[in-house]
Amino acid sequence: MRRTRATIAMIAVTAASLALIGCSADSGGDADTIRVVYQKTDGFVALDELFQKVKPEFEEANPGVTVELEPIVADEADYATKLALMQQSPDTAPDVFYEDTFRVRSDVDAGYLLNLDDHLAEWDEWDQFNEGAKEAGRADDGSIYAVPLGTDTRGIWYSKSLLEAAGVALPWEPKTWDEILETARQVKEASPDKVAFNAYAGKPAGEGSVMQGFGMLMYGTDDTLYEADSQKWVTGSQGFIDSLAFIETLYGEGLAPAPDVALDGSMWQKLFGEWFPGGQIAGTIEGSWSPSFWKQGGQYEWPEYVDDIGVAAFPTQNGQGDGAVSLSGGWTLAVGANTGNADASFDFLAMALNKENALEYNIANSQIAVRSDVASDPAYLEANPFIGFFTDLVTYTHFRPATADYPQISAEIQAATEAVMTGQMSPEDAAAAYDEAVVGIVGEENVTG
Amino acid sequence: MTAAETVRTAATRRDLASPRKAVASAARNLVLWIIGLSFLLPLAWLVLASIDTRPSQQARLPEGFTFDHYAAVLTVEGTLLPLWNSLLLSTGSAAITVVVAVLAAYPLSRYQSRFNRPYMYAILFGTCLPITAIMVPVYSLFVRLGYLDNLFAVTAFLAATSLPMAIWMMKNFMDSVPVSLEEAAWVDGASAMGTLRRIVVPLMRPGIAVVFIFVFIQAWGNFFVPFILLLSPAKQPAAVSIYSFFGQYGTVAYGELAAYSLLYSLPVIVLYVIVSRGIGGSFALQGAVKG
Amino acid sequence: MRLLPVVPSVLLLLLFMAGPVVWAIVISFSNSALTGRFAKDPEWVGLDNYTRLLADPAFPLSLLLTIAFVIGSAIIGQNLLGLGLALLFGRVNRTTRALVSTAVVAAWVLPEIVAAFAAYAYFADDGTLNQLLAGLGIDGPNWLFEYPMLAVVLANVWRGTAFSMLVYEAALGDVPPEISEAATVDGASGMQRLVWVTLPMIRGAIATNLMLITLQTLAVFTLIWVMTKGGPGVASTTLPIFAYQEAFKFQAIGYGSAIAVVMIVIGAAFSIAYIRALRPEAQR
Repeated sequence: MRRTRATIAMIAVTAASLALIGCSADSGGDADTIRVVYQKTDGFVALDELFQKVKPEFEEANPGVTVELEPIVADEADYATKLALMQQSPDTAPDVFYEDTFRVRSDVDAGYLLNLDDHLAEWDEWDQFNEGAKEAGRADDGSIYAVPLGTDTRGIWYSKSLLEAAGVALPWEPKTWDEILETARQVKEASPDKVAFNAYAGKPAGEGSVMQGFGMLMYGTDDTLYEADSQKWVTGSQGFIDSLAFIETLYGEGLAPAPDVALDGSMWQKLFGEWFPGGQIAGTIEGSWSPSFWKQGGQYEWPEYVDDIGVAAFPTQNGQGDGAVSLSGGWTLAVGANTGNADASFDFLAMALNKENALEYNIANSQIAVRSDVASDPAYLEANPFIGFFTDLVTYTHFRPATADYPQISAEIQAATEAVMTGQMSPEDAAAAYDEAVVGIVGEENVTG
Repeated sequence: MTAAETVRTAATRRDLASPRKAVASAARNLVLWIIGLSFLLPLAWLVLASIDTRPSQQARLPEGFTFDHYAAVLTVEGTLLPLWNSLLLSTGSAAITVVVAVLAAYPLSRYQSRFNRPYMYAILFGTCLPITAIMVPVYSLFVRLGYLDNLFAVTAFLAATSLPMAIWMMKNFMDSVPVSLEEAAWVDGASAMGTLRRIVVPLMRPGIAVVFIFVFIQAWGNFFVPFILLLSPAKQPAAVSIYSFFGQYGTVAYGELAAYSLLYSLPVIVLYVIVSRGIGGSFALQGAVKG
Repeated sequence: MRLLPVVPSVLLLLLFMAGPVVWAIVISFSNSALTGRFAKDPEWVGLDNYTRLLADPAFPLSLLLTIAFVIGSAIIGQNLLGLGLALLFGRVNRTTRALVSTAVVAAWVLPEIVAAFAAYAYFADDGTLNQLLAGLGIDGPNWLFEYPMLAVVLANVWRGTAFSMLVYEAALGDVPPEISEAATVDGASGMQRLVWVTLPMIRGAIATNLMLITLQTLAVFTLIWVMTKGGPGVASTTLPIFAYQEAFKFQAIGYGSAIAVVMIVIGAAFSIAYIRALRPEAQR
């Protein structure tokens, strides 16, 4: 019976190895290793530098604990997907990770994030964080699950020389959407081969299409995306259609970048690296972090930006309300719910966010500080000439709907902007498709309008 | 000379004699050359951009000649580790597939059984399953089994996806090894496994090599499976690391992208040449396609 | 006991081939998600995912694009071009045959992602194709944006024709020359010979080839993903891209699985047709 024995051995080996695969994975339960997952790209190395610096300091202070840095080289959308894919399995969920504020609530609901209340109560530096920043990490149950690295605001960045060439009076301070379009048309007339005004749109730009595009429009109309009081999503609003119509006009008239260029996920690299320094673009909606690319040592070093760039607040639709609008987001650090060593993970997070490190990171990445000791530090205030302007925009700022459904709804908004910018749908049809998708995501009972 | 050969020689002579035929022949050659050239153009970009000092998206003669792009991408983290991971994945899944397929093909080829027919149906069905198209449930299943980000599990998965085709090919190869040799060994008291190892396997070595290389090439080139199932950068094979390279530098580093692409393609090109020259390309296809 | 050696293959196939199929069906009845409360505690939602799929305007479009992709690039493109090449190869000198054959096979041997990069660069706005057209005085469009489906179909023809070509070369090699020549002597024209003599003799190879390339093309993801990401908008979103987007970008694993089930059904329909055509038991 040699044949049988050999074969049975073979089967046993196959079955055993299939069964053993699951056990051999080094799971998140390992107490001696802290896996840190974050995004790193050609243009975003500030966080990588921060962690590279903190890792040896932390390992020295905590003998026996190893920090494993896992930078994910991907754009924002792909990073979010990769992180979500990792989080779903406790074996692959990281211990500490870089998380966009708008995903916090939804990921808390999914059970991915560790409740930090107890750790924060013992952290003497938590008082330094301003109230708005603390809210960013709060979930529906009132507990804090994430600590922000910094925040940001958004406004208009324009090229003084191009606007001057088109005969626009400086400083340019548009009061309504129509004034933006008029100026853009004027620029187009004067220099037909340049980009007149950019508002991000389409799926490849990801969350940027909402934050540096559609959202800046929507929050300047009389309508809203989400009614916080009744906790209902708004459908069928005129503001939604008007916002899409603005995007349609911008792209349809060729004022914005050509749709095929705009639908390349790396357009922002061109915008910072080639268009502004090369005088190829007159204006754009962009975030307070813009100088991080142009400053000395930045990805697209361009010291002349200090003189050539002007900034303005983004107007509401017809100048109503405060007259200006801004959106704030920002990223946080969070600890995985299934971490094998919650204390060490939190200590790592706290060390990465202490005053010295936060100051360095906020300057390197041109972030708006959320720690008051950093915000008042002279080094921070002198880091770039626009930091004061963008810090003041906090007065007009809005935050995205703090609900768990937001990430999915944001994806639908991106799809709607793409349909409009490419001319595949009219603003009305795209808005209707969005309404239908929202009902599908949150259910009929959580929708109004 | 057989009758057919006579006819053929006569036909050839007529070809040479008739000017109309000569024109037709020239036309055939021209058409083929045009097709061949248009197939080459996209590939030419890979080669030309990788040695161009100022690479772009166009296939054109280099402005200046350089090996800098190759030097730039040849780093441990950037290319060598991912290529090593690719090697582990591909060799592992090819080895598993070959061993399991030989074992499975033997009884299917040698014994009649009620089990054979449904099993061969299942294998054929498996050949047709668009497995890369259903990566969503595969991912979800891997999460449930705790297999995510596990090199060995992904290796086994890749082996399983090429197994139906491999068993099919292996059975066809084995069918062509005469049973008489084994019967002699059985008379001498050898076990079935013993004859399989000592007699059948050596005789079908070319077939096994074909299957091994076939699986290896498939695993080496697979992007979607490791893209979804292997998450930590240290475990990712070249197919995935080259993609993040493309995403990160976007439209800028064409030279390096092309250089990395060629480095990554080299092993499968070499293997293909081995199969088609050394073992015979049509032989491999016979195993795969023979009805 | 004689069947014991088959067991390892059965285990592997059950776990990794049958497993995902069964699992796809199971979770397509749930609202399993990548984030949010249903990531932790998915609920059974019955046929909700399927009713949503039928109501989703993106689904019929995606199905249509998939069919167009399969018919355009596989059944017409790869198949006819492969057959044409194999036929021409029999009637030209050896050098031409070897060189052209190498060019065609090279595109097929490359890893899919490399082929996708090459095709991306070729069809890009300032890529090789538009450079050629500019040489002819034509201002070429941005293919990947204005004609995304045409670009991915052509790219897939370029990438996959070698397989059909090799299959037909092998099949034509098995056709005894006497038959074709006998027809020539009878005065049949080239076209008549092809239609009435050659093609019927290789119909088995044609059927096999059509099935295999159809199923391969149905599952193409990487080529389209790299070239267009399914865009602009949804203009080149075939079913595999659609499932990926819904499951991993829009975080709806259950919904994405329902799309996977649709693809499994399409694959199964082809398999049954294929199996009927081949009949494995007729082999021995």
